Amino acid sequence: MKHLWAILRFMWHDQRNALLRGAALTAVVLAMGAALLGLSGWFITAAAAAGLAGVGATFDVFRPSAMVRFLALGRAAARYGERLLTHDATLRALESLRLRVLAAHLAAPHGKMLQIRGAQALNRLTADIDALDGVPLRLALPVLAGAAVLLIAGLVLWALVGPVLALWITGGYALGALAVAWATAQRMVPLSRRAERAAQAFRGRLIDLIRGRGDLAVHGHLATQRGAVEAAEERRLSLRTALHRAERRAGFLLSVAGTLVAAGALAIGLMAAQAGTLEPALAALAFFTALALAEVVAPLRRGLSDFGRMADAARRVGRDIAAPELVPGATRRAMGDLVARGLSLLRPGGGVLMQGFSLTLRPGQTIALTGPSGVGKSTLLLALAGLHPITEGQIDLGGSPLTDWPEKGLRDALTLLPQRSALMVGSVADALNLAGPASEAEHWAALRAVRLDTVIADKGGLAALLGPRGAGLSGGEGRRLALARAILRRPRFLLLDEPTEGLDDATARAVLAGIRDFLPDAGILIAAHRPAEVEFADRVVTLK
Amino acid sequence: MELLAPGKAGARRAAGVSVVSGLVWIAQAAIVAQALGSLLGQGAVNALGAAAGFAVLGVLRAALVHAAETRAQDAADTVIGQARSAIVAAEARRSDDNTFGGAGAIAALAGEKLELLGPYLTRYALARARVGVLPLVILALAFWQSWAVGLILLVAGPLIPVFMALIGLAAKEASARQMAEIGTLNDFLVERLSTLVDIRLLGAGEAVTSGFAAQAGDLRARTMAVLRVAFLSSTVLELFAAIGVAMVAVYVGFSLLGALSFGTWGAPLSPAAGIFLLLLAPEFFQPLRDLAAAWHDKAAADAVLDELAAHAADQGQTLPGQGARVAPLPGPASVALEGCCLPSGRPIRDIAIQPGERVALVGPSGAGKTSVLRLMAGLTLPERGEVRVAGQPLSMDNADAWRARLGWMPQAPHFLSGSLRANLTLGREGDLPRALHAAAVDKVADALPRGLNTRLGETGGGLSGGEARRMTLARAILSAPDLILADEPTADLDPATAALVTEGLLAEAARGATLVIATHDPALAARMDRVIDLGAAK
Repeated sequence: MKHLWAILRFMWHDQRNALLRGAALTAVVLAMGAALLGLSGWFITAAAAAGLAGVGATFDVFRPSAMVRFLALGRAAARYGERLLTHDATLRALESLRLRVLAAHLAAPHGKMLQIRGAQALNRLTADIDALDGVPLRLALPVLAGAAVLLIAGLVLWALVGPVLALWITGGYALGALAVAWATAQRMVPLSRRAERAAQAFRGRLIDLIRGRGDLAVHGHLATQRGAVEAAEERRLSLRTALHRAERRAGFLLSVAGTLVAAGALAIGLMAAQAGTLEPALAALAFFTALALAEVVAPLRRGLSDFGRMADAARRVGRDIAAPELVPGATRRAMGDLVARGLSLLRPGGGVLMQGFSLTLRPGQTIALTGPSGVGKSTLLLALAGLHPITEGQIDLGGSPLTDWPEKGLRDALTLLPQRSALMVGSVADALNLAGPASEAEHWAALRAVRLDTVIADKGGLAALLGPRGAGLSGGEGRRLALARAILRRPRFLLLDEPTEGLDDATARAVLAGIRDFLPDAGILIAAHRPAEVEFADRVVTLK
Repeated sequence: MELLAPGKAGARRAAGVSVVSGLVWIAQAAIVAQALGSLLGQGAVNALGAAAGFAVLGVLRAALVHAAETRAQDAADTVIGQARSAIVAAEARRSDDNTFGGAGAIAALAGEKLELLGPYLTRYALARARVGVLPLVILALAFWQSWAVGLILLVAGPLIPVFMALIGLAAKEASARQMAEIGTLNDFLVERLSTLVDIRLLGAGEAVTSGFAAQAGDLRARTMAVLRVAFLSSTVLELFAAIGVAMVAVYVGFSLLGALSFGTWGAPLSPAAGIFLLLLAPEFFQPLRDLAAAWHDKAAADAVLDELAAHAADQGQTLPGQGARVAPLPGPASVALEGCCLPSGRPIRDIAIQPGERVALVGPSGAGKTSVLRLMAGLTLPERGEVRVAGQPLSMDNADAWRARLGWMPQAPHFLSGSLRANLTLGREGDLPRALHAAAVDKVADALPRGLNTRLGETGGGLSGGEARRMTLARAILSAPDLILADEPTADLDPATAALVTEGLLAEAARGATLVIATHDPALAARMDRVIDLGAAK
């Protein structure tokens, strides 16, 4: 609930005017609907009374019938405007939400960045954001507009038919809706959360079954895994059934509340008319208005049915947008060396990785880090790039501690090419432009440095399009494009994690030489796993 | 559509109840019209009786709606549940990958996409049933009371199928395009989120967020253009309904005033009849509006049914056995291929491996090393020829028992979401500390934050590539297998780690296990007793 509020506040803050206008139009639509039916009922009853009394000729038919036509057509038009406005506002709010999620993740710690990279986490995040479109459309706007219309209807009815009917009708709907909402929402939240968890378990277990099919079959575990998938499905099914039951019950109760309010209005109106304290036509007006106001509380059912799902999604998305946004800082030139002193690091999951490690990298120098897999080469590079926390010791860049560097200045001074570098959909030029603005000539120079110029020229030049995750390039070509992107930054310090993976020996040596020619003054630190990389370095540091 | 068959009977009953609930409103309208009519006619009105009758019928109607929804939901649950079970069963029965798509796509189909059949079977199907009956009944009642009102509805009536068709077309296209747009926006976000580290390291955070904002804004503008069409078409429907109701109201009003004297069968329209008609007129259009509102449920369900058919179309190869745990097959730990061929149809040279032998399978990529290992593991049966295991032909019936004797080291390990311990044991008994020690990963496991209880994610969370490979070795040797099948156990490993894995495998052979290793690594092949080159002619 708290998280739902946070999301609502975020959307409200983002789209206050559009949402306010949307709420106002929603209220206009509901009010016109109620007025239309109430007026029609009054008109016909009053006309019948006039006809029976033989005064039909003097009855003013034109104003009421014009009013009926105006309300009928106006309501349809207002509804069109309301839908456009609320959907536009909601789409805008969701757009801001996505942007905020992206920005928050860009500033997240490295471990979290890796976590979000899994397909399941991404799927879930996007599904969560999509689920939140109901927060304004099915929750906030209908409730806000509904409350306003009940208030207005109450005042108008008070003036026309007196306090008893006004209070009975509006009070009945307000209390009925509140009671149903209270009773249902309470049940929905835990049920939805458990159903969502069961759905995730089903999804994860089915994916495990499909991806690990061969392994599971050989180890005689496939039948058990299938049983686990089916168990999750059974759990989900029973929880979904409970959710649907709660939703149907809410619909039933809302419908009963509407019937009782209308029946009560009918009884009160008829008795008052018989007693002579109320005109029959006004009694009809009260009854018909009571019928029409059912439209005000009806949308509550959809909102309640999605309430648990939305609250659950808001809880997760809210955590993501709570993080501070990326703060741009001033550029600063790094003049001195990159120095690590007495460094201690923990593994990404915990446990000591290395202790008391020291290293000095000078501009123009090339150092290769070697050591068996898992010894911490990649983690050390991440720490030097400010993406992995250090438990002891210090890293200085250009004489000041890494932690004092503003993000932008740090990235300008130092570039890390991680082990698994990713490419996006777009042209080769788009991929290179991620490194910042550069001329075409510079792009070609960088591609030449990594021996990719002829490959790209054959594919159609810088405008050649890449598919998702760099599809269209081989593994080695993608790696070299990521390398070209990194050297285009022209950093003072270049950290490379297994830069020539997927390249044959001759190409690997040529690429490394090309990088050195492109960046003659940069300090280069390589997490090396093959002879070509080790032999390229001026100095080798072995981690144990 | 046979996919919907399991819920058919339930859906039909639900439709019937839904229609009856619509008919109850006619009785409610009659009570109200009678009461208000008597009030005007100075007749005696039993106010409480009328209100009670209205309330009882209203509660009955709500209960009928509830019952119809319950039945429809039950029918939907049956359909969805059976389709889901069919997907799970098909995936657990086959041994190759479905051409329909990857694990994520299949899980999305079996998960959230199947749920889209729910609204179709509940909302759309019920609305369609009401459309078939209620407008006709109301039309008949209208003609009975006043031919003029009947005529108004009759004229508005035929226009509605025309508009329904138009709206259906527009709404279907609109929802399809809108779904595609939303999909694209999510793809944009997913791409950027999976490139977070690179974006950050390249200092491109601001550029990427502003680029994303521009693309998202562009997409929103296009989505709104599509929505405008969809909303316009439903507005036209509402407008027609509103005009129809307003015309009925105006006609009834003028008739009651005595200004109009045509349109009835003789006697002038009574106040009760007028009010009755006014209450019925909106209900004439309501089922059509419900149907229009549920139209995109049908479009979404049609798309899901197409995908289900596509998934079921690829039957694939059947996995021999159940993949269940059974007693091991008795006999020598020998395996032989006689007259088998690759999936491409190319023959495989005959191979006979004796108990305790150490054999390397070599050959260029595509020579069939992995296929041979899969045949030996009983993951597929040969289309031609025979695989003999422990001295007997491998069959559907003995595949599980044969596999109970195997150790299996695949090329790309997939870790299940669960603890490291669960991933290593996979429910089997065995000496875990010994296996971890033999695979030289006992220290790695100890260093994990929660040791063997650490949960692994889809990417092997927290383990490096070499560590993950050695964990697979530990898993393979856990149950002291009689025969170990390993696919490229040292590929992509640094020399030190490769040596650890090699020693681990040789230690198993020293224990007496038969070893069959597919490899490109000449150093590893040289340590075996025999090298079989699958690329060479027989």
